[in-house]
Amino acid sequence: MDIVEVEVDKLYRDQFGKLLSALLRFSDDIDLEAAEDVVQDTFSAALVGWKMDGLPDNPAAWLYKVSRNRALNKIKEAKKFVKKNAGGGGDGVGGVDGIVGEDGFGEVEKEGKGAPIEDEQLILLFACAHPDLAPKVQVVITLKYVVNLKVEAIARILGLTIDGIDKMLTRARQKIRDERILFHEPSAAALKPRVQSVHKVLYLIFNEGYKSSWGKELIREELCEEALIMTRALCRSVVGDPETHALYALMLFNAARIKARFGRDGELLDLEEQDRSLWDQDLIRLAMVNLESAHGGVVSTYYCEAAIAGLHCAAERYGATNWNAIIRIYRQLLGLQANPFVELNYAIALYYSGDKVQALRILHELEKQAFLGRYYLLHASLGRIYAAEGNKGLAKEYLETTLRLTNAPDEIAFVRRLIKKVE
Amino acid sequence: MDVRIPSAWMSLLFTNFNIKRMQKFMLIVREDLAELKRSGEEERFRRMRIMTAWAESLQESVNFLGGEPLELARRLVTRDQVLSDGPFIEAKEGISGYIMINAENIEQAAAIAQGCPLVQQGFLIMEVSPILLNNGC
Repeated sequence: MDIVEVEVDKLYRDQFGKLLSALLRFSDDIDLEAAEDVVQDTFSAALVGWKMDGLPDNPAAWLYKVSRNRALNKIKEAKKFVKKNAGGGGDGVGGVDGIVGEDGFGEVEKEGKGAPIEDEQLILLFACAHPDLAPKVQVVITLKYVVNLKVEAIARILGLTIDGIDKMLTRARQKIRDERILFHEPSAAALKPRVQSVHKVLYLIFNEGYKSSWGKELIREELCEEALIMTRALCRSVVGDPETHALYALMLFNAARIKARFGRDGELLDLEEQDRSLWDQDLIRLAMVNLESAHGGVVSTYYCEAAIAGLHCAAERYGATNWNAIIRIYRQLLGLQANPFVELNYAIALYYSGDKVQALRILHELEKQAFLGRYYLLHASLGRIYAAEGNKGLAKEYLETTLRLTNAPDEIAFVRRLIKKVE
Repeated sequence: MDVRIPSAWMSLLFTNFNIKRMQKFMLIVREDLAELKRSGEEERFRRMRIMTAWAESLQESVNFLGGEPLELARRLVTRDQVLSDGPFIEAKEGISGYIMINAENIEQAAAIAQGCPLVQQGFLIMEVSPILLNNGC
Protein backbone atom coordinates (compact mmCIF):
# COMPACT_ATOMS: atom_id res chain seq x y z
CA MET A 1 0.00 0.00 0.00
CA ASP A 2 1.26 3.46 -0.79
CA ILE A 3 0.80 6.46 1.45
CA VAL A 4 -2.53 7.50 -0.11
CA GLU A 5 -4.01 4.03 0.30
CA VAL A 6 -2.88 3.88 3.92
CA GLU A 7 -4.43 7.28 4.61
CA VAL A 8 -7.71 6.43 2.85
CA ASP A 9 -7.90 3.16 4.72
CA LYS A 10 -7.42 4.91 8.05
CA LEU A 11 -9.95 7.62 7.17
CA TYR A 12 -12.43 4.97 6.11
CA ARG A 13 -12.30 3.40 9.55
CA ASP A 14 -12.38 6.69 11.43
CA GLN A 15 -14.78 8.68 9.33
CA PHE A 16 -17.21 6.45 7.46
CA GLY A 17 -19.86 6.39 10.16
CA LYS A 18 -19.38 10.04 11.02
CA LEU A 19 -19.76 11.10 7.39
CA LEU A 20 -22.82 8.91 7.08
CA SER A 21 -24.44 10.24 10.21
CA ALA A 22 -23.64 13.84 9.23
CA LEU A 23 -25.26 13.35 5.82
CA LEU A 24 -28.38 11.82 7.29
CA ARG A 25 -28.79 14.61 9.75
CA PHE A 26 -28.07 17.22 7.10
CA SER A 27 -31.19 16.51 5.11
CA ASP A 28 -34.41 14.58 5.51
CA ASP A 29 -34.31 13.76 1.83
CA ILE A 30 -31.51 11.30 1.92
CA ASP A 31 -31.98 7.79 3.22
CA LEU A 32 -29.40 5.44 4.62
CA GLU A 33 -28.78 3.52 1.44
CA ALA A 34 -28.28 6.64 -0.67
CA ALA A 35 -26.07 8.19 2.00
CA GLU A 36 -23.97 5.03 2.12
CA ASP A 37 -23.53 5.17 -1.67
CA VAL A 38 -22.48 8.80 -1.50
CA VAL A 39 -19.90 8.18 1.22
CA GLN A 40 -18.60 5.11 -0.61
CA ASP A 41 -18.28 7.11 -3.86
CA THR A 42 -16.53 9.91 -2.01
CA PHE A 43 -13.91 7.48 -0.74
CA SER A 44 -13.42 6.05 -4.25
CA ALA A 45 -13.02 9.56 -5.60
CA ALA A 46 -10.56 10.37 -2.84
CA LEU A 47 -8.44 7.35 -3.64
CA VAL A 48 -8.23 8.20 -7.35
CA GLY A 49 -7.97 11.97 -6.94
CA TRP A 50 -5.39 11.95 -4.16
CA LYS A 51 -3.17 9.52 -6.05
CA MET A 52 -3.00 12.05 -8.88
CA ASP A 53 -2.89 15.33 -6.95
CA GLY A 54 -1.51 14.24 -3.62
CA LEU A 55 -3.19 14.46 -0.21
CA PRO A 56 -5.20 17.62 0.52
CA ASP A 57 -4.25 19.70 3.56
CA ASN A 58 -7.12 18.34 5.58
CA PRO A 59 -8.25 15.03 4.10
CA ALA A 60 -11.16 14.59 6.51
CA ALA A 61 -12.56 18.04 5.75
CA TRP A 62 -12.19 17.23 2.06
CA LEU A 63 -14.29 14.13 2.55
CA TYR A 64 -16.99 16.06 4.39
CA LYS A 65 -17.14 18.75 1.71
CA VAL A 66 -17.18 16.37 -1.22
CA SER A 67 -19.69 13.99 0.29
CA ARG A 68 -22.03 16.84 1.14
CA ASN A 69 -21.78 18.29 -2.37
CA ARG A 70 -22.47 14.90 -3.85
CA ALA A 71 -25.43 14.45 -1.56
CA LEU A 72 -26.76 17.87 -2.55
CA ASN A 73 -26.45 16.99 -6.21
CA LYS A 74 -28.23 13.75 -5.62
CA ILE A 75 -31.07 15.49 -3.85
CA LYS A 76 -31.30 18.18 -6.54
CA GLU A 77 -31.45 15.48 -9.15
CA ALA A 78 -34.41 14.03 -7.38
CA LYS A 79 -35.92 17.53 -7.59
CA LYS A 80 -37.07 17.51 -4.02
CA PHE A 81 -34.38 19.42 -2.32
CA VAL A 82 -35.50 20.65 1.03
CA LYS A 83 -32.79 22.07 3.11
CA LYS A 84 -33.22 21.15 6.70
CA ASN A 85 -31.16 23.88 8.28
CA ALA A 86 -32.19 26.97 6.34
CA GLY A 87 -29.71 29.78 6.89
CA GLY A 88 -27.17 27.48 8.44
CA GLY A 89 -23.58 27.12 7.56
CA GLY A 90 -22.42 28.26 4.19
CA ASP A 91 -19.37 26.80 2.67
CA GLY A 92 -16.63 27.41 5.10
CA VAL A 93 -15.14 23.99 4.76
CA GLY A 94 -12.53 23.80 2.06
CA GLY A 95 -8.94 23.89 3.12
CA VAL A 96 -9.73 24.55 6.74
CA ASP A 97 -7.23 23.00 9.02
CA GLY A 98 -8.53 21.74 12.29
CA ILE A 99 -10.83 19.24 13.83
CA VAL A 100 -13.28 17.99 11.29
CA GLY A 101 -16.20 17.81 13.64
CA GLU A 102 -16.06 21.58 13.80
CA ASP A 103 -16.12 22.07 10.06
CA GLY A 104 -18.88 21.61 7.58
CA PHE A 105 -21.88 19.92 9.06
CA GLY A 106 -20.69 20.23 12.57
CA GLU A 107 -20.87 23.97 12.17
CA VAL A 108 -24.38 23.86 10.81
CA GLU A 109 -25.56 21.73 13.68
CA LYS A 110 -23.99 23.77 16.38
CA GLU A 111 -26.16 26.71 15.39
CA GLY A 112 -29.12 24.62 16.44
CA LYS A 113 -30.32 24.09 19.97
CA GLY A 114 -27.16 22.31 20.96
CA ALA A 115 -27.33 18.56 20.85
CA PRO A 116 -26.84 16.81 24.15
CA ILE A 117 -24.56 14.40 22.37
CA GLU A 118 -22.21 15.96 19.91
CA ASP A 119 -20.41 12.81 18.97
CA GLU A 120 -21.80 11.60 15.65
CA GLN A 121 -20.67 8.12 16.48
CA LEU A 122 -22.74 7.98 19.64
CA ILE A 123 -25.85 9.20 17.85
CA LEU A 124 -25.34 6.51 15.26
CA LEU A 125 -24.89 3.99 18.06
CA PHE A 126 -28.29 4.91 19.47
CA ALA A 127 -29.88 4.62 16.04
CA CYS A 128 -28.43 1.13 15.61
CA ALA A 129 -29.92 -0.05 18.91
CA HIS A 130 -33.39 0.07 17.36
CA PRO A 131 -35.77 -1.84 19.68
CA ASP A 132 -37.50 -3.65 16.81
CA LEU A 133 -34.29 -5.36 15.73
CA ALA A 134 -32.87 -8.56 17.19
CA PRO A 135 -29.80 -7.90 19.36
CA LYS A 136 -27.67 -9.82 16.88
CA VAL A 137 -28.78 -7.54 14.06
CA GLN A 138 -28.15 -4.50 16.25
CA VAL A 139 -24.62 -5.80 16.72
CA VAL A 140 -24.14 -6.32 12.98
CA ILE A 141 -25.28 -2.83 12.01
CA THR A 142 -23.27 -1.27 14.83
CA LEU A 143 -20.15 -3.04 13.60
CA LYS A 144 -20.94 -1.83 10.08
CA TYR A 145 -21.92 1.78 10.72
CA VAL A 146 -20.30 2.71 14.00
CA VAL A 147 -17.14 0.59 14.10
CA ASN A 148 -16.92 0.79 10.29
CA LEU A 149 -15.98 -2.84 9.71
CA LYS A 150 -16.37 -4.27 6.24
CA VAL A 151 -19.05 -6.89 5.69
CA GLU A 152 -16.43 -9.63 5.19
CA ALA A 153 -14.83 -8.85 8.54
CA ILE A 154 -18.18 -8.87 10.33
CA ALA A 155 -19.06 -12.21 8.77
CA ARG A 156 -15.78 -13.70 9.92
CA ILE A 157 -16.09 -12.36 13.46
CA LEU A 158 -19.66 -13.49 13.99
CA GLY A 159 -19.32 -16.77 12.12
CA LEU A 160 -21.99 -15.78 9.60
CA THR A 161 -22.01 -15.77 5.81
CA ILE A 162 -21.58 -12.55 3.84
CA ASP A 163 -24.92 -13.29 2.24
CA GLY A 164 -26.56 -13.61 5.65
CA ILE A 165 -25.11 -10.28 6.76
CA ASP A 166 -26.33 -8.60 3.57
CA LYS A 167 -29.84 -9.88 4.21
CA MET A 168 -29.76 -8.57 7.78
CA LEU A 169 -28.52 -5.19 6.56
CA THR A 170 -31.25 -4.89 3.96
CA ARG A 171 -33.94 -5.50 6.55
CA ALA A 172 -32.30 -3.29 9.13
CA ARG A 173 -31.94 -0.39 6.67
CA GLN A 174 -35.69 -0.25 6.30
CA LYS A 175 -36.03 0.25 10.04
CA ILE A 176 -33.31 2.86 10.11
CA ARG A 177 -34.89 4.68 7.18
CA ASP A 178 -37.77 5.60 9.49
CA GLU A 179 -35.44 6.29 12.36
CA ARG A 180 -36.03 9.81 13.58
CA ILE A 181 -33.06 9.83 15.92
CA LEU A 182 -30.74 10.12 12.97
CA PHE A 183 -32.49 12.99 11.32
CA HIS A 184 -33.16 15.31 14.19
CA GLU A 185 -31.17 16.78 16.96
CA PRO A 186 -31.59 14.08 19.55
CA SER A 187 -32.41 15.29 23.03
CA ALA A 188 -31.34 13.40 26.10
CA ALA A 189 -34.99 12.57 26.75
CA ALA A 190 -35.32 10.96 23.32
CA LEU A 191 -32.19 8.88 23.81
CA LYS A 192 -32.72 7.78 27.41
CA PRO A 193 -35.23 4.97 26.77
CA ARG A 194 -32.75 3.37 24.45
CA VAL A 195 -29.74 3.37 26.75
CA GLN A 196 -30.34 -0.22 27.86
CA SER A 197 -30.39 -1.48 24.28
CA VAL A 198 -27.18 0.40 23.61
CA HIS A 199 -25.58 -1.20 26.68
CA LYS A 200 -26.53 -4.61 25.40
CA VAL A 201 -25.02 -3.94 21.96
CA LEU A 202 -21.76 -2.78 23.56
CA TYR A 203 -21.74 -5.78 25.90
CA LEU A 204 -22.26 -8.19 22.99
CA ILE A 205 -19.54 -6.54 20.91
CA PHE A 206 -17.11 -6.81 23.80
CA ASN A 207 -18.04 -10.46 24.29
CA GLU A 208 -17.50 -11.23 20.63
CA GLY A 209 -14.00 -9.90 21.05
CA TYR A 210 -13.44 -11.71 24.32
CA LYS A 211 -14.81 -15.15 23.50
CA SER A 212 -12.20 -17.74 24.23
CA SER A 213 -13.37 -20.15 21.57
CA TRP A 214 -11.71 -18.06 18.89
CA GLY A 215 -8.21 -17.96 20.29
CA LYS A 216 -5.82 -15.10 20.00
CA GLU A 217 -6.92 -13.28 16.89
CA LEU A 218 -5.82 -9.69 16.68
CA ILE A 219 -9.10 -8.36 15.29
CA ARG A 220 -10.84 -9.69 18.38
CA GLU A 221 -8.79 -7.62 20.77
CA GLU A 222 -9.55 -4.62 18.58
CA LEU A 223 -13.23 -5.38 19.00
CA CYS A 224 -12.81 -5.29 22.79
CA GLU A 225 -11.02 -1.97 22.42
CA GLU A 226 -13.78 -0.51 20.26
CA ALA A 227 -16.38 -1.56 22.80
CA LEU A 228 -14.32 0.00 25.60
CA ILE A 229 -13.90 3.26 23.70
CA MET A 230 -17.60 3.53 22.91
CA THR A 231 -18.61 2.67 26.47
CA ARG A 232 -16.22 5.25 27.87
CA ALA A 233 -17.67 7.86 25.51
CA LEU A 234 -21.16 6.91 26.71
CA CYS A 235 -20.06 7.20 30.36
CA ARG A 236 -18.88 10.73 29.67
CA SER A 237 -21.98 11.80 27.76
CA VAL A 238 -25.13 13.15 29.39
CA VAL A 239 -27.07 9.96 28.77
CA GLY A 240 -24.55 7.74 30.51
CA ASP A 241 -25.91 6.41 33.82
CA PRO A 242 -24.68 4.21 36.69
CA GLU A 243 -25.43 1.13 34.59
CA THR A 244 -23.04 2.43 31.92
CA HIS A 245 -20.33 2.59 34.56
CA ALA A 246 -21.15 -0.95 35.67
CA LEU A 247 -20.81 -2.15 32.09
CA TYR A 248 -17.56 -0.25 31.68
CA ALA A 249 -16.26 -1.79 34.92
CA LEU A 250 -17.20 -5.27 33.72
CA MET A 251 -15.33 -4.77 30.45
CA LEU A 252 -12.28 -3.37 32.22
CA PHE A 253 -12.07 -6.27 34.69
CA ASN A 254 -12.12 -8.70 31.78
CA ALA A 255 -9.76 -6.62 29.65
CA ALA A 256 -7.31 -6.58 32.55
CA ARG A 257 -6.97 -10.36 32.25
CA ILE A 258 -6.70 -10.56 28.45
CA LYS A 259 -2.93 -11.14 28.37
CA ALA A 260 -3.09 -13.95 30.91
CA ARG A 261 -5.78 -16.00 29.20
CA PHE A 262 -3.47 -17.94 26.94
CA GLY A 263 -0.37 -19.94 27.82
CA ARG A 264 3.02 -20.04 26.14
CA ASP A 265 1.81 -22.32 23.37
CA GLY A 266 -1.38 -20.36 22.81
CA GLU A 267 -3.40 -22.77 24.92
CA LEU A 268 -6.46 -21.55 26.79
CA LEU A 269 -5.91 -21.10 30.53
CA ASP A 270 -8.61 -20.99 33.16
CA LEU A 271 -8.69 -18.66 36.16
CA GLU A 272 -6.83 -21.17 38.31
CA GLU A 273 -3.96 -21.56 35.85
CA GLN A 274 -3.53 -17.92 34.89
CA ASP A 275 -0.41 -16.04 35.94
CA ARG A 276 -2.00 -13.29 38.00
CA SER A 277 1.08 -11.08 37.78
CA LEU A 278 0.09 -10.55 34.12
CA TRP A 279 -3.22 -9.01 35.13
CA ASP A 280 -3.23 -5.31 34.40
CA GLN A 281 -3.51 -3.63 37.80
CA ASP A 282 -4.15 -0.17 36.28
CA LEU A 283 -7.19 -1.48 34.44
CA ILE A 284 -8.39 -3.27 37.56
CA ARG A 285 -8.11 -0.06 39.58
CA LEU A 286 -9.99 1.87 36.88
CA ALA A 287 -12.66 -0.81 36.90
CA MET A 288 -13.01 -0.54 40.69
CA VAL A 289 -13.51 3.23 40.38
CA ASN A 290 -16.22 2.72 37.77
CA LEU A 291 -17.94 0.11 39.87
CA GLU A 292 -18.05 2.61 42.71
CA SER A 293 -19.61 5.14 40.32
CA ALA A 294 -22.18 2.52 39.36
CA HIS A 295 -23.24 2.18 42.95
CA GLY A 296 -26.57 3.70 43.84
CA GLY A 297 -28.10 3.20 40.45
CA VAL A 298 -30.30 0.38 39.29
CA VAL A 299 -28.64 -2.94 40.00
CA SER A 300 -28.21 -4.43 36.56
CA THR A 301 -26.93 -7.75 35.36
CA TYR A 302 -23.77 -5.86 34.38
CA TYR A 303 -23.36 -4.65 37.94
CA CYS A 304 -23.58 -8.22 39.25
CA GLU A 305 -21.26 -9.59 36.58
CA ALA A 306 -18.78 -6.78 37.21
CA ALA A 307 -18.89 -7.41 40.95
CA ILE A 308 -18.17 -11.11 40.37
CA ALA A 309 -15.32 -10.33 37.95
CA GLY A 310 -14.03 -7.80 40.48
CA LEU A 311 -13.96 -10.35 43.28
CA HIS A 312 -11.88 -12.65 41.05
CA CYS A 313 -9.55 -9.77 40.21
CA ALA A 314 -9.17 -8.86 43.87
CA ALA A 315 -8.04 -12.36 44.87
CA GLU A 316 -4.28 -12.56 45.17
CA ARG A 317 -4.32 -16.27 44.44
CA TYR A 318 -7.01 -18.59 43.16
CA GLY A 319 -7.19 -20.16 46.61
CA ALA A 320 -7.94 -16.75 48.12
CA THR A 321 -11.06 -16.19 46.01
CA ASN A 322 -14.00 -15.00 48.08
CA TRP A 323 -16.47 -17.63 46.87
CA ASN A 324 -19.02 -16.83 49.54
CA ALA A 325 -19.41 -13.27 48.26
CA ILE A 326 -19.50 -14.58 44.70
CA ILE A 327 -22.34 -17.00 45.35
CA ARG A 328 -24.35 -14.28 47.05
CA ILE A 329 -24.00 -12.10 43.97
CA TYR A 330 -24.95 -15.04 41.75
CA ARG A 331 -28.16 -15.35 43.78
CA GLN A 332 -28.92 -11.72 42.98
CA LEU A 333 -28.12 -12.32 39.35
CA LEU A 334 -30.55 -15.25 39.33
CA GLY A 335 -33.20 -12.87 40.60
CA LEU A 336 -32.55 -10.57 37.65
CA GLN A 337 -31.93 -13.11 34.96
CA ALA A 338 -33.18 -16.53 35.95
CA ASN A 339 -32.12 -19.04 33.35
CA PRO A 340 -30.33 -22.39 33.37
CA PHE A 341 -27.05 -20.92 32.13
CA VAL A 342 -26.79 -18.61 35.15
CA GLU A 343 -27.79 -21.55 37.39
CA LEU A 344 -24.89 -23.51 35.98
CA ASN A 345 -22.43 -20.77 36.93
CA TYR A 346 -24.04 -20.44 40.33
CA ALA A 347 -23.64 -24.18 40.92
CA ILE A 348 -19.94 -24.05 39.99
CA ALA A 349 -19.39 -21.17 42.43
CA LEU A 350 -21.31 -23.13 45.07
CA TYR A 351 -18.97 -26.09 44.61
CA TYR A 352 -15.89 -23.93 45.18
CA SER A 353 -17.49 -22.25 48.18
CA GLY A 354 -17.66 -25.70 49.74
CA ASP A 355 -21.33 -26.56 49.28
CA LYS A 356 -20.59 -29.61 47.17
CA VAL A 357 -23.87 -31.43 47.78
CA GLN A 358 -26.07 -28.56 46.65
CA ALA A 359 -23.78 -27.82 43.69
CA LEU A 360 -24.00 -31.37 42.36
CA ARG A 361 -27.74 -31.49 42.96
CA ILE A 362 -28.25 -28.43 40.74
CA LEU A 363 -25.88 -29.68 38.06
CA HIS A 364 -27.58 -33.07 37.84
CA GLU A 365 -30.98 -31.35 37.67
CA LEU A 366 -29.73 -29.28 34.73
CA GLU A 367 -28.44 -32.44 33.09
CA LYS A 368 -31.98 -33.79 32.93
CA GLN A 369 -33.14 -30.88 30.79
CA ALA A 370 -33.27 -31.66 27.08
CA PHE A 371 -31.41 -28.54 25.98
CA LEU A 372 -28.98 -28.07 28.86
CA GLY A 373 -28.27 -31.78 28.91
CA ARG A 374 -26.53 -31.25 25.60
CA TYR A 375 -24.55 -28.23 26.67
CA TYR A 376 -20.80 -28.81 26.56
CA LEU A 377 -19.99 -26.53 29.49
CA LEU A 378 -22.32 -28.45 31.79
CA HIS A 379 -20.50 -31.71 31.01
CA ALA A 380 -17.11 -30.00 31.22
CA SER A 381 -18.01 -28.63 34.66
CA LEU A 382 -19.24 -31.98 35.94
CA GLY A 383 -16.06 -33.57 34.57
CA ARG A 384 -13.86 -31.12 36.41
CA ILE A 385 -15.78 -31.45 39.64
CA TYR A 386 -15.62 -35.25 39.60
CA ALA A 387 -11.92 -35.04 38.78
CA ALA A 388 -11.44 -32.78 41.81
CA GLU A 389 -13.45 -35.26 43.89
CA GLY A 390 -11.14 -38.04 42.75
CA ASN A 391 -13.82 -39.91 40.81
CA LYS A 392 -11.73 -40.66 37.73
CA GLY A 393 -14.33 -42.80 35.99
CA LEU A 394 -17.15 -40.27 36.05
CA ALA A 395 -14.74 -37.41 35.34
CA LYS A 396 -13.54 -39.10 32.18
CA GLU A 397 -17.04 -39.95 31.09
CA TYR A 398 -18.25 -36.36 31.37
CA LEU A 399 -15.16 -34.91 29.71
CA GLU A 400 -15.44 -37.28 26.81
CA THR A 401 -19.08 -36.30 26.33
CA THR A 402 -17.90 -32.68 26.30
CA LEU A 403 -15.66 -33.43 23.33
CA ARG A 404 -18.64 -34.66 21.36
CA LEU A 405 -20.59 -31.47 22.09
CA THR A 406 -18.15 -28.74 21.04
CA ASN A 407 -16.40 -27.88 17.78
CA ALA A 408 -14.18 -25.05 18.98
CA PRO A 409 -10.51 -26.13 18.57
CA ASP A 410 -9.24 -24.23 21.63
CA GLU A 411 -11.87 -25.76 23.85
CA ILE A 412 -11.27 -29.25 22.50
CA ALA A 413 -7.56 -28.83 23.26
CA PHE A 414 -8.46 -27.57 26.75
CA VAL A 415 -10.69 -30.56 27.49
CA ARG A 416 -8.08 -32.98 26.10
CA ARG A 417 -5.61 -31.52 28.59
CA LEU A 418 -8.12 -32.09 31.39
CA ILE A 419 -8.61 -35.70 30.33
CA LYS A 420 -4.86 -36.24 30.33
CA LYS A 421 -4.63 -34.85 33.85
CA VAL A 422 -7.33 -37.23 35.03
CA GLU A 423 -5.46 -40.20 33.57
CA MET B 1 -1.54 -6.66 45.32
CA ASP B 2 -3.07 -3.46 46.63
CA VAL B 3 -6.53 -3.91 45.24
CA ARG B 4 -9.27 -3.06 47.65
CA ILE B 5 -12.78 -4.37 47.32
CA PRO B 6 -15.17 -1.43 47.57
CA SER B 7 -17.24 -1.94 50.70
CA ALA B 8 -20.21 -0.53 48.81
CA TRP B 9 -20.45 -3.83 46.94
CA MET B 10 -21.72 -5.63 49.91
CA SER B 11 -24.72 -3.35 50.14
CA LEU B 12 -25.52 -4.72 46.70
CA LEU B 13 -26.79 -7.71 48.58
CA PHE B 14 -29.51 -5.67 50.21
CA THR B 15 -30.53 -3.57 47.25
CA ASN B 16 -34.01 -3.66 45.82
CA PHE B 17 -34.05 -4.25 42.13
CA ASN B 18 -36.11 -1.94 40.05
CA ILE B 19 -34.66 -2.84 36.69
CA LYS B 20 -36.82 -2.10 33.70
CA ARG B 21 -38.32 -5.44 32.86
CA MET B 22 -38.54 -6.51 29.29
CA GLN B 23 -41.67 -8.23 28.12
CA LYS B 24 -41.94 -12.03 28.26
CA PHE B 25 -42.71 -13.98 25.12
CA MET B 26 -43.43 -17.59 24.35
CA LEU B 27 -42.09 -19.00 21.12
CA ILE B 28 -44.26 -21.95 20.25
CA VAL B 29 -42.21 -24.28 18.12
CA ARG B 30 -44.07 -26.05 15.33
CA GLU B 31 -42.64 -28.70 13.09
CA ASP B 32 -43.64 -31.61 10.96
CA LEU B 33 -44.07 -34.23 13.68
CA ALA B 34 -44.42 -37.11 11.24
CA GLU B 35 -41.14 -36.13 9.63
CA LEU B 36 -39.56 -35.71 13.07
CA LYS B 37 -40.67 -39.20 14.05
CA ARG B 38 -39.28 -40.69 10.84
CA SER B 39 -35.95 -38.88 11.12
CA GLY B 40 -35.15 -40.69 14.37
CA GLU B 41 -33.46 -40.04 17.71
CA GLU B 42 -30.06 -39.12 16.30
CA GLU B 43 -31.50 -36.31 14.20
CA ARG B 44 -33.68 -35.14 17.05
CA PHE B 45 -30.63 -34.87 19.32
CA ARG B 46 -28.74 -33.03 16.61
CA ARG B 47 -31.51 -30.44 16.43
CA MET B 48 -31.58 -30.14 20.21
CA ARG B 49 -27.87 -29.39 20.22
CA ILE B 50 -28.49 -26.61 17.71
CA MET B 51 -31.25 -25.29 19.97
CA THR B 52 -28.88 -25.41 22.97
CA ALA B 53 -26.27 -23.37 21.12
CA TRP B 54 -28.96 -20.90 20.07
CA ALA B 55 -30.27 -20.68 23.65
CA GLU B 56 -26.71 -19.99 24.78
CA SER B 57 -26.48 -17.05 22.38
CA LEU B 58 -29.85 -15.77 23.64
CA GLN B 59 -28.66 -16.05 27.22
CA GLU B 60 -25.66 -13.91 26.32
CA SER B 61 -27.98 -11.17 25.07
CA VAL B 62 -30.07 -11.55 28.27
CA ASN B 63 -33.04 -12.76 26.25
CA PHE B 64 -33.26 -16.44 27.23
CA LEU B 65 -35.54 -17.57 30.05
CA GLY B 66 -36.05 -21.27 29.41
CA GLY B 67 -37.71 -23.81 27.23
CA GLU B 68 -38.31 -27.48 26.63
CA PRO B 69 -38.95 -29.77 23.71
CA LEU B 70 -42.04 -31.99 23.92
CA GLU B 71 -42.21 -35.74 23.47
CA LEU B 72 -44.09 -37.02 20.48
CA ALA B 73 -46.83 -38.86 22.41
CA ARG B 74 -50.15 -36.99 22.18
CA ARG B 75 -53.73 -37.28 23.31
CA LEU B 76 -56.42 -35.05 21.93
CA VAL B 77 -59.22 -34.55 24.38
CA THR B 78 -62.73 -33.37 23.47
CA ARG B 79 -65.96 -33.44 25.44
CA ASP B 80 -66.80 -36.95 24.31
CA GLN B 81 -63.60 -38.74 23.59
CA VAL B 82 -59.88 -39.07 23.93
CA LEU B 83 -58.04 -39.46 20.65
CA SER B 84 -54.51 -40.80 20.53
CA ASP B 85 -51.96 -40.17 17.78
CA GLY B 86 -54.27 -40.21 14.81
CA PRO B 87 -55.20 -37.05 13.00
CA PHE B 88 -53.01 -34.50 14.69
CA ILE B 89 -49.75 -36.42 14.39
CA GLU B 90 -50.37 -36.53 10.65
CA ALA B 91 -50.77 -32.77 10.56
CA LYS B 92 -47.99 -30.93 8.77
CA GLU B 93 -47.23 -28.79 11.78
CA GLY B 94 -47.52 -29.89 15.35
CA ILE B 95 -46.18 -28.27 18.47
CA SER B 96 -42.80 -29.78 19.28
CA GLY B 97 -41.66 -27.51 22.07
CA TYR B 98 -41.54 -24.02 23.46
CA ILE B 99 -38.96 -21.36 24.28
CA MET B 100 -39.47 -18.48 26.68
CA ILE B 101 -37.64 -15.26 26.00
CA ASN B 102 -37.42 -11.65 27.08
CA ALA B 103 -37.71 -8.98 24.41
CA GLU B 104 -38.32 -5.28 24.02
CA ASN B 105 -41.46 -5.74 21.94
CA ILE B 106 -43.15 -8.26 19.66
CA GLU B 107 -41.15 -7.03 16.64
CA GLN B 108 -37.92 -7.81 18.42
CA ALA B 109 -39.24 -11.14 19.72
CA ALA B 110 -40.18 -12.12 16.18
CA ALA B 111 -36.80 -10.97 14.87
CA ILE B 112 -35.08 -13.06 17.54
CA ALA B 113 -37.17 -16.13 16.67
CA GLN B 114 -36.32 -15.68 13.04
CA GLY B 115 -32.65 -15.83 13.93
CA CYS B 116 -32.98 -19.43 15.16
CA PRO B 117 -30.82 -21.56 12.85
CA LEU B 118 -33.49 -24.28 12.67
CA VAL B 119 -36.00 -21.69 11.47
CA GLN B 120 -33.47 -20.45 8.94
CA GLN B 121 -32.90 -23.96 7.66
CA GLY B 122 -36.63 -24.55 7.34
CA PHE B 123 -36.87 -27.38 9.90
CA LEU B 124 -39.43 -25.58 12.01
CA ILE B 125 -41.52 -22.47 12.35
CA MET B 126 -42.31 -20.48 15.45
CA GLU B 127 -45.37 -18.71 16.68
CA VAL B 128 -44.44 -15.70 18.77
CA SER B 129 -46.78 -14.38 21.42
CA PRO B 130 -46.44 -12.06 24.42
CA ILE B 131 -47.39 -13.55 27.78
CA LEU B 132 -50.58 -11.88 28.96
CA LEU B 133 -50.12 -10.01 32.20
CA ASN B 134 -52.77 -8.95 34.62
CA ASN B 135 -52.87 -5.20 34.17
CA GLY B 136 -55.60 -4.62 36.66
CA CYS B 137 -58.62 -4.55 34.37
